[in-house]
Amino acid sequence: MSAATLEEVLPGKAEQRGPSQKTAEAEAEYGHLVQAEYEHGFVTEIESDTLPPGLDESVIAAISQRKGEPQWMLDWRLAAYRKWLDMPTPKWAAVHYPPIDYQAISYFSAPKKKELKSLDEVDPILLETYEKLGIPLEEQKALAGVAVDAVFDSVSVATTFRSALAEAGVIFCSISEAVHEYPELIQQHLGSVVPPTDNFYAGLNAAVFTDGTFVYIPKNTRCPMELSTYFRINTANTGQFERTLIVADEGSYVSYLEGCTAPQRDENQLHAAVVELIAMDNAEIKYSTVQNWYPGDAEGRGGIYNFVTKRGDCRGVNSKISWTQVETGSAITWKYPSCILRGDNSVGEFYSVAVTKGRQQADTGTKMIHLGKNTRSTIVSKGISAQHGMQSYRGLVRIAAKAEGARNHTQCDSLLIGDKCAANTFPYIEVKNPSAQMEHEATTSKISDDQLFYCRSRGLSEEDAVSMIVNGFCKEVFNELPMEFAVEAQKLLSISLEGAVG
Amino acid sequence: MSAPALKTAPAAVPAAGAPGPFAAWLPAAVPAGEPDWLTTARSAAAARVASASVPTNKSEDWRYTGLRALLEQGFTPVDEPLTALLPDDIEDVLLPGLDAHRVVFVNGRFAPQLSVLEGLPAGLRIGGLRATLAEDPDALREVLTAVAGDGAHVLTALNTAGFDDGLVLLAARGVQVEKPIELLNLSVGLDEPRVAQPRHVVALGDAAQVTLIERYLSLGDALYCNNVLLELDLGRDAVLRHRRIQIESPSAFHVSGVYLRQGANSRYDGINIGMGGRWSRTDLVMRFGGERAECDLKGLYLAGDQQLIDYHLDVRHELPRCTSRENFKGIVYGKGKAVFDGLVYVAKDAQQSDAELSNRNLLLAPSAEVDTKPQLEIYADDVKCSHGTTVGQIEPEMLFYLRSRGIAEGLARRMLCLGFAGEIIDALGSAAIVEHVADAVGRRLEAAPL
Repeated sequence: MSAATLEEVLPGKAEQRGPSQKTAEAEAEYGHLVQAEYEHGFVTEIESDTLPPGLDESVIAAISQRKGEPQWMLDWRLAAYRKWLDMPTPKWAAVHYPPIDYQAISYFSAPKKKELKSLDEVDPILLETYEKLGIPLEEQKALAGVAVDAVFDSVSVATTFRSALAEAGVIFCSISEAVHEYPELIQQHLGSVVPPTDNFYAGLNAAVFTDGTFVYIPKNTRCPMELSTYFRINTANTGQFERTLIVADEGSYVSYLEGCTAPQRDENQLHAAVVELIAMDNAEIKYSTVQNWYPGDAEGRGGIYNFVTKRGDCRGVNSKISWTQVETGSAITWKYPSCILRGDNSVGEFYSVAVTKGRQQADTGTKMIHLGKNTRSTIVSKGISAQHGMQSYRGLVRIAAKAEGARNHTQCDSLLIGDKCAANTFPYIEVKNPSAQMEHEATTSKISDDQLFYCRSRGLSEEDAVSMIVNGFCKEVFNELPMEFAVEAQKLLSISLEGAVG
Repeated sequence: MSAPALKTAPAAVPAAGAPGPFAAWLPAAVPAGEPDWLTTARSAAAARVASASVPTNKSEDWRYTGLRALLEQGFTPVDEPLTALLPDDIEDVLLPGLDAHRVVFVNGRFAPQLSVLEGLPAGLRIGGLRATLAEDPDALREVLTAVAGDGAHVLTALNTAGFDDGLVLLAARGVQVEKPIELLNLSVGLDEPRVAQPRHVVALGDAAQVTLIERYLSLGDALYCNNVLLELDLGRDAVLRHRRIQIESPSAFHVSGVYLRQGANSRYDGINIGMGGRWSRTDLVMRFGGERAECDLKGLYLAGDQQLIDYHLDVRHELPRCTSRENFKGIVYGKGKAVFDGLVYVAKDAQQSDAELSNRNLLLAPSAEVDTKPQLEIYADDVKCSHGTTVGQIEPEMLFYLRSRGIAEGLARRMLCLGFAGEIIDALGSAAIVEHVADAVGRRLEAAPL
């Protein structure tokens, strides 16, 4: 298909969004009054450059062409696509949803204005959107020293703090940029942790990913600031296929923050991201996520399908990868941030708080694959299920025959609020080395009446008491988050649980 | 792998569809004159066998346990009852200190000449399944095939389609049997690899109390397979103490399914000891049929010397206010492999359910393997459920403590293993059984390359 015909599709699409924006804006205005409703549900009016729905080799070629990609990138995508055609959709997760029509999704959507040199050139509507989400880019420049690679739909539109980072030799850019500017790094690392054949959604992502983030920390460098990116799904019917690649070279350190919110929609939106982390000798990567995609309404209509493949490879000795996630959004979450502990003495960590309420479903957990000697892993998973929420922890700890002295401790606790929700625990433990120490413990319970009574007798309202107890329940995980995120996460958690208690 | 050839056309298998890889396990024909309800259940099971393919590791139930070794043997059913054994022949395997009513099965068939069933209290009926089906089939109607239903997998269906004999133990309302009942399953190697598929049926009336000691032993180093199925039905307030001790020959294959249905306020206290056989798989399927019932399951397994031992637990709390405890411990050494898969399920309205699942393993050798999967599925909020799992080794500090007191390393390690196993062994209760199992575990550990 030609680019010209694609352009013609656009105006109609943009107009269709008019009315929904009005209501959405009203909602945004009074959002604080309608408690426990999704705070970030508004749609930004901005023209998008969208491909019509459907997927075949020509669509992939069109995506690649639009992004001006080199031939090797297109070949990689096409190879992934051909493999994907034969892959089955995973069925083992304890989540239920109608089959997805992959031909009804538009695989490319980008804000129209491009090539911005400074923040002032960024579409003011976009900036306003971030303002509503509480990420004022301008302020953030001065504040906290956080560089933001803001992803609006699928293409990065603004990247700040580039020069400060460049001074340290850190590469922090969109992945499309990296394909052009650092092809050797991309060719070397892309798909080396999550190959396109890994699973159905990773295959789909490899074929159609539109953008994402690339980070490279050079040897013996401590990244001077926390890196963060805000994802946002916009434009109805657009699946979002992010791809993040972080490479921490020998002796380096980086902390990466990822936060997500999405506007309110009635149709289900598919989000199939891939995140690859690579830690070389003595390197450390800390990856934190606060996920607050639109969860659908109380009846389970709408909401994001969040089918993500996240994996870290502790390739070098003494390397460390730490995942921290706070998952409060999405209609369905299917996500297992994992660590391959390949290097001797490498360390993997997984800290998670997941909240499901309304009709939300989450099947989440981690995999810790111990291959190197003296590798250690820690898993702390806290699940909170309310109303009709359905939640499963699914984790694998595998200690290979050669992983001498491996150590794992797993703790997963579930809190049930109400009698219609569910909490499942499915841990898989495979040990083939006799020097391994492996412990797993799990509990499921409700908030005890004693705890509640204690708080109430000291004058706290029931809601405050529950919020306090729940925050205490999650404290171990929140402690792992960077400061700003910890505050946001606590706020998110109490907002999420408002109206779910009592 | 190709399926073993059919020896004779099995009458019980419906003609429709392919016979399936397990068809050779079924007898040529089931005994004539069985009641209609049983015939219906049997043909449904035979149809499941016929349509079943060999489960692979893609199947969650068989993720860590391959069926290849089991199918390679080309087992065919035991055809002739073995009547040649005399009481003197089994003298060696009896437990001298155990004062029990004894019912003996040889290769899955009731052996009245070896059983000691005099002086049974009134209201207690013990006999062979085949005879009971011929004389009084209605006595079994509420239990036989009713408790197990379709069962967990194809091996359950095989037993339903092909069982020939087994224990019938019926205790009337309020009967309290003082002496334990010993269910002795002996296997003798035959000319070719044979499979026995006994079906044991135990039904306790309201408030009845019984102790059942179920043992599996081999006479000689025989290659055979036992595909056993137990259906246990506990009435209101009934109590069943159940000890299962499997110490079969290193060549034996052992499959057992235990299906339990518990009435209100009843108590089941079960201990599984698994240390024999080359390949064994046990499914413990527990269901509550009334509130405030208690189910206590314990287990100890020893896997070494190329052994595979697999325990699957499936405990469902469908009703409120029931309690279950699952505590399994394993010692794995040599080239042994242990698989533990425990599921505790709490249904939507099963409030105030209380469940604790624990699985602890000692992994002692580089070629040994433990795969464990303790699962909780909870759909009610007012519950107390937990599970814990560990895989580890002998603590160096403990070893050092013993060594510093002049105890040789090998002995010290064995002592620590026995100490680890002691929690389960001591719970067996009767001194004769405790001694027997402790002795067997001790001897195994002595021979083991710890």
